[in-house]
Amino acid sequence: MEKTTSYLHNQPVLFGKKFMWDLCVGKVKAMADLTPLFNVKSVAIIGASNKPGKIGNVIVKNIIESGFAGKIFPINPKETEIEGLPCYSSVSQAPDKIDLAVVCVPAKFCPDVMEECGKTGIKYAVVITAGFKEVGPEGLELEKKLLFICKKYGIRMVGPNCVGIMDTHIPINTSFAAGFPVQGDIAFISQSGAMLVSIMDWAKSIGLGFSRVISLGNKADLNEADFIDAMADDPFTKVILCYIEDVHNGKYFLEAASRAARKKPVIVLKSGTSQAGALAASSHTGALAGSDLAYETAFTQAGILRARSMTELFDLATCFSYQPLPKGDRVAIVTNAGGPGIVASDAIEEARLTMARFDKETLDALRANLPAEANIYNPVDVIGDARADRYAFALEAVLKDPHVDSVVVLVCPTAVTDPENIAQRIIELHRKYPEKPLLTAYMGGMTLAKGVKILTRAKIPVFTFPEPAIRSIAGMVNYVRRMESRVEGEEIRYDDINPDKVKAIFYDVIRDRRSVLLGSEAAAVAEAYGISAAPVKLAISPEEAVALAESIGYPVVLKVASPKIMHKTDVGGVKIGLNNAEDVRNGFIEILENVQRYLPNVVPYGIEVSKMMPKGTELIVGMTRDMQFGPLIAFGLGGIYVNLLKDVSFRLAKGITHAEIAAMIAETKASTLLRGYRGEQPADMMSLIDMVARAAKLILDFEEISEMDINPVFAYPDGYSALDIKITIEL
Amino acid sequence: MKNLYIMGSAGSGKTAMAVGLSLKFKQEGLRVSYFKPVGTSTVTGKADEDAVLMKELLDMAAPLEVIAPTMASPFYLSRGNRSAEMLATIKRAYQEIARHADLVIIDSAIFPHIMGTIGLDAPSLASELGAGVLYLINVKNDYSLDQSVFFNQYLQYKGVPVLGNIFTHVPRPIQAKIEGVYKPLLDNLGFRTLGIVPRVRELSSPSVAQVHELLGGELLTGERNLDLLVEDIMVGAMTIESALGYLRRSNNKIFITGGDRADMALAALETSTSAIVLTGGLYPDVKVISRAMEKGVPVLLVHYDTYTAIEKLSELSGRITPNNKESINKAVENVERYCDWQGILNSLK
Repeated sequence: MEKTTSYLHNQPVLFGKKFMWDLCVGKVKAMADLTPLFNVKSVAIIGASNKPGKIGNVIVKNIIESGFAGKIFPINPKETEIEGLPCYSSVSQAPDKIDLAVVCVPAKFCPDVMEECGKTGIKYAVVITAGFKEVGPEGLELEKKLLFICKKYGIRMVGPNCVGIMDTHIPINTSFAAGFPVQGDIAFISQSGAMLVSIMDWAKSIGLGFSRVISLGNKADLNEADFIDAMADDPFTKVILCYIEDVHNGKYFLEAASRAARKKPVIVLKSGTSQAGALAASSHTGALAGSDLAYETAFTQAGILRARSMTELFDLATCFSYQPLPKGDRVAIVTNAGGPGIVASDAIEEARLTMARFDKETLDALRANLPAEANIYNPVDVIGDARADRYAFALEAVLKDPHVDSVVVLVCPTAVTDPENIAQRIIELHRKYPEKPLLTAYMGGMTLAKGVKILTRAKIPVFTFPEPAIRSIAGMVNYVRRMESRVEGEEIRYDDINPDKVKAIFYDVIRDRRSVLLGSEAAAVAEAYGISAAPVKLAISPEEAVALAESIGYPVVLKVASPKIMHKTDVGGVKIGLNNAEDVRNGFIEILENVQRYLPNVVPYGIEVSKMMPKGTELIVGMTRDMQFGPLIAFGLGGIYVNLLKDVSFRLAKGITHAEIAAMIAETKASTLLRGYRGEQPADMMSLIDMVARAAKLILDFEEISEMDINPVFAYPDGYSALDIKITIEL
Repeated sequence: MKNLYIMGSAGSGKTAMAVGLSLKFKQEGLRVSYFKPVGTSTVTGKADEDAVLMKELLDMAAPLEVIAPTMASPFYLSRGNRSAEMLATIKRAYQEIARHADLVIIDSAIFPHIMGTIGLDAPSLASELGAGVLYLINVKNDYSLDQSVFFNQYLQYKGVPVLGNIFTHVPRPIQAKIEGVYKPLLDNLGFRTLGIVPRVRELSSPSVAQVHELLGGELLTGERNLDLLVEDIMVGAMTIESALGYLRRSNNKIFITGGDRADMALAALETSTSAIVLTGGLYPDVKVISRAMEKGVPVLLVHYDTYTAIEKLSELSGRITPNNKESINKAVENVERYCDWQGILNSLK
């Protein structure tokens, strides 16, 4: 009944309801082909107007003023001519084929308009109109209707509730923003329309150029993943910038971003990181923002650079757009004052970059040509009376040095400084050594303004202070490092696992209407996937507990078994090191009494008896399923201090490799312990990697697992033992 | 003797037992009537809900004022001691109910001790009406058994025949303890165990409609899903990251949070939730309503604080309504599968 293939051929066919819904919420999706959208030759403005100040009028004017060379068809049944162009009553009346429809009629008319676009064969639409999902349930219904029509006719839609798109290479400006950016190689994709118009205005003032600018709006159809994917292959785009509040579909976003990041830098500012921010974002877009941790992990794994502020986003964009990528992390500073040089050196250390150590040749040249008071070591201080020539000499010397990967020039305005001439010489030297990033900090205002202008025009990034310059280099270095350290490996596979066993256990748990597995069940699940768990058995009476203890062998541990209890120790639900029948019998009853005291309404399933394992290095392996990005694996130091020390590293489980797991373990302080700290025997690292891989396999195979915690895992010189496993499943 | 008096504490499942037994006995060809000498109602002036239910289920001709002839209220003594008058009313009503019945199932007030001050408590009425008692035990811990034994013995001293005890709403983990520990102890004391009935959600869980009735407030969406069952109650006051862990552990819950916590409400909607209760009279963001509509989850807005809402909810327990076939069938099934109904019938002969 569900003809998915037909959809892919853009044929209007009937779909099953469920499939339609899945389509609407983005579960079924193919990455959009947006090449035609960035090559439009004719555009219709539905809702065009003659009234100045109306959006329908602004857009027509913007398209004309952007220098669009194709055909423009204003659509409005009440007008015959708009801005000197013949106006048509509907898209079907237009004398030529329409590549793109820009819709700005009131929301309630949008479905009819879109239906007509579909019938006319229009394949791309930008819906500017607001009044959809963002205004509540009725708006949501209307948006679904619109999307349904788009799917029916194979129309790809930007928006609704967006500012429009600007393209400096076609060129076309279908937005209602004031002004049009200069041509450049930065693509900017923004979920916020307001942010977009502000940035365009600001960028124009400093001459920052863009290739394509996309306002995403409600992302009903096309979303950030589609545009990141399209920009990856766009020859006019060198850097992809993204401002997002949420990700529409984690899986596709990751696919698109990973692919794009291999080709060019993808820099993302994701707002809503603070709790208050998340709250604002959730009431802003109605999206339940995935947890920030998941975003952070996903971005890192996809190779996305995450900007922490608007300033950083555009600092990075400017540097990536204007400068080459650095070959390494060694930074040289050329300054005319000591203080700024020290500040820059501190920033380099903080950003985990390296202060370049110059070649003997460089040092000799500097020593021979700079005044005796100058500092020839990094940071090179050409001192306060330096004019353009001395700056140029020192700069060329460090640019030539093979031990320098990038250079930052600091200029303080002393009475003899000639900022304009220095700027000219910097530009000349950058042309001579174009392979090394060259950034500047012109530390002042009025007296340096002209120099700043000269540098900006020549695409040399200028900052007012050293730190943002260093941070930008750090961003570039991180991008290069990530590209170099990208581990491509085989996805994990195991033949010795038993999914049927797990299915059977889950079946019993679900039948019992529980979400949480008992410890004994969780241990059995882990064992089915080859994770070596300490043996756990459930006892429902003191006598049974004694019998189990005798068969397992003393010493044993008793733990309360109840899906309602999250932290067993907190309610007196754990007894360790029990050595005889009497202790086990008393322990059983004491645990029940403790639990009753703290949680009078909880009826435990019984008490779990497990073997007391010898102490090893305490670790934790955890998993939580993020709503956007799927399962997230955690590895770190375990035991009761896990929340205090927070020595944990994360990875997305999807596509994880053994090498990636090894890298993940290496990120933690626990790895120092595992390698054998202060003469202790090293732990069996291979078996730990194997365990994490098996845990990842388990959670990837069973989507119903929403959380899993193995805490603690005892690591030994030979193997490990998973002592306490918690698994939560969705009913 | 043709009178079976069902006693037990609030929430022990007296109504479900009355439904199950009466329908089972009716199937067996007996003419069964239902009688509740001391009724209660949630709203003053409204009829006793059990009386309404049983009248319909058993197709009884007697009017509701006869099926539940007197009503208890927490301030009944303020009306003066009308003991004799009320007892006379009860006896008259009983005569009418019993006239055409082979068996009368008598239901006690919320607690058996209610109206004890004026001698109209359940044990006294059982004695007056000549009924045998079936005592329902909802076990929480060993003290629950103590209470039952105490009550059984009290009935014995009063000369009221005790047919036996039935453990109700038994969570699966303690079934074994009841069989292995409690039942033998009761046997030793000379009290029979006539059934161990496991907990079934259809009978123990209240519906969202009940929650709405109890809490009042505005229903913002989900009118069509008020029959969803509530199995758990959870309060959301933490950050989303920590909340998800708790939210995922709990199924078919009512989730209580402030109206301004859009993040929490949205997170709850991604997990198994039967209803969202927003407190403090703060209207939520439209996005919460949109998502709740999509998910078909009722959202209730109350104008008082979270603590008050929780306090009110503590009174909540499962309830059977005449048109809820599923729970009625479960009640009968419980009697058939887990109770010695034949034994009960025999001991009435």
